[in-house]
Amino acid sequence: MPPRISITPCLRRLWGNSCPFRLIQPPGPVNRCRSFTTTSPNTFGNRPKRISSSGSPELLEGSKAASLERKRLATRPGVLAVKKGMTAIFKPNGRRIACTVLQLERVQVTAVKTRQKHGYWAVQVGSGLRNPKNVTRPMLGHFEVAGTAPKKHLREFRVKDENGLMMPGTTFAADFFIEGQYVDVKANCKGHGFAGGMKRHGFSGQPASHGNSLNHRTMGSAGQSQGGGSRVLPGKRMPGRMGGHQVTRPHVQVMKIDKELGTILLFGPVPGPKGCTVAIQDTILGPPPVIPGAAATSSEPAVVTA
Amino acid sequence: MTSESFRPLTTLLHRRAASTLSTTTTNTLRSRIHFATRPNPTLPRRRIKVHPPPPGPPTKDPISVLTAAQIKALDPSGSRAELFSRNNPQAIRPGDIVYVRRKNGEPFSGVLLNIRRRGIDTSILLRDQLTKLGVEMWLKVYSPIIDSINLVQSKEKMARRAKLYYMRKLKHDFGPVRGIVSDWVRKSYAAKKGVDKAGQSAGQKGQKEQKAKKAKK
Repeated sequence: MPPRISITPCLRRLWGNSCPFRLIQPPGPVNRCRSFTTTSPNTFGNRPKRISSSGSPELLEGSKAASLERKRLATRPGVLAVKKGMTAIFKPNGRRIACTVLQLERVQVTAVKTRQKHGYWAVQVGSGLRNPKNVTRPMLGHFEVAGTAPKKHLREFRVKDENGLMMPGTTFAADFFIEGQYVDVKANCKGHGFAGGMKRHGFSGQPASHGNSLNHRTMGSAGQSQGGGSRVLPGKRMPGRMGGHQVTRPHVQVMKIDKELGTILLFGPVPGPKGCTVAIQDTILGPPPVIPGAAATSSEPAVVTA
Repeated sequence: MTSESFRPLTTLLHRRAASTLSTTTTNTLRSRIHFATRPNPTLPRRRIKVHPPPPGPPTKDPISVLTAAQIKALDPSGSRAELFSRNNPQAIRPGDIVYVRRKNGEPFSGVLLNIRRRGIDTSILLRDQLTKLGVEMWLKVYSPIIDSINLVQSKEKMARRAKLYYMRKLKHDFGPVRGIVSDWVRKSYAAKKGVDKAGQSAGQKGQKEQKAKKAKK
C-alpha cells in the first residue's frame, strides 16, 4: 500500500487557516493519555496506554506497570559464551559428571534499555569480534557510543529493574557466575534441515519387506476420510524443517569456573553445535544467586566479576 | 510529524500554491523534501571512532587445557597416563591381560580389547569369561575409584589390530583369565611381602597373607 499522504496541511496553507468547512482531525497518533502518564512514549511506537492506573488506588492488573512487576525476570543480566565441547568431572566418590565447556570471548555491555525510554529494563550484551570494515556505519556509531569494539553477536538480557543495569563498556569475566549456582541456558539447537516423519516425530515407518514397495520410511496415512473432517487437520505432524530454533535449558548448575581461561563448565548438555553462541543468565526458576563480595556494579568500563 | 517526511504530491501542490500566492520564502526542492542528507555535503564525513577490542581468551581450545589440568590432579605421578601411552614400550596394549583393583567392589580382570582415548574419559574394555559366560567391562582409566591397573600377562606377539572385537567369537575367545590372574596375584603378594597394603580388597591368598602378618606381629 502506498503511504497515506495528507493534503490537509497543504490545504490549510492554501486557504490560510480559514477553511469554509471543518477539517478532520490531523492524522497521526495522539496521546490522549498524556495528562495521566508519567512516562514518555516508548521508542517503538506512540501507542497510547489503554489501561492507566492513575485513577485507581492500586495497580491495575492489565496495566504495563503491573505486567512488568509480575514478570519473572532475573536480577542480573546474562552473558554470551561459545560452546566449545564437552568433558567430564570426576567426583572423589567416583561419580562422573558430564559437563559442557563454554568460553567467554570479549563479552561486553553495548547498550542499556530503560523503562522510561523503551518500556522495559534490559542490558544489551555483545560478544566476539567483527572487522570494522565489515560493519555498517550505523552499527559502528552504536558501538562508538557504547565504547566497545564492533561485536559479532548482540543480545539483550531482560532484567527486573534498574539495579540490574550495567554501564556500557563493562567487560564480563567468567567469574560473573558462581560455582554451584543455577542458570538458564539458551541457544539455537542443531539444525536437521528438511527431516522426515521418522526423524522429526518418531513415526515408526513401515515394514521393510512383505511386499512393501518404496514406502519404508513414509508417513503413511494423514488422517481419516469423510468421517474425520474430509481434510487433513491443522497441526498434522508431517515432514518438514527440524531444528535450528532456540531451545532453553532451565535450571542448569554451574560446575566449575576458570577465570584465566574464561570458561564456565555447565552440568549436562547444552543445545547447539560446537562453536555456537549460547546465552547464559541466572535462572528464573529459583532465588537469585548469593554473590559473596559486594555488589560489583557499573563503575566505568570495568571488569565485572561476581 | 511523519507526514512531513514524504509528500511528493503535496510538494507539487505547494509549488503551484507558491506561485499563485507569491510567498516570500523561496523553498528549494532540497529543503522541502527531506532526504537523508548531511547538513553540509561539502565537508568530509564525521570520523567514527572504533574502540580497540579487549584481549581475547588465552586459548581457543580450553578443553585440552582443562583436560590436562584434570589429569594432573587425578594422576599426579603420571603413572596411569604412562601405562597407556603410545610412546611407552612397557605400556599396556590390546591383547594383554589386565587386573584392575577398585576402591569399592570386586577387582576385575580380563583381556584388554580396546583402549578408548578421550582425554579425561580415556577408558579400557576388559573381557573375561566367568563360568562360561563372557563378561565385558568398561573402566575409566582416570576415575578416582580405580585403585590400580596392573599388567598381568602381555601378549607375546603384538595384536595386529587396535580393537580386538574378533575375540568375541568362540574361535578367538581367550576364555577365563582367572587362573593366570590368581597366579599373578599370589606372586605379586609374595614379592611385596612386608609392605602395608591398607584398604585394598584382595583375594583369599592376600587375606591369608595379611592374617599371617598380623599373627607375626
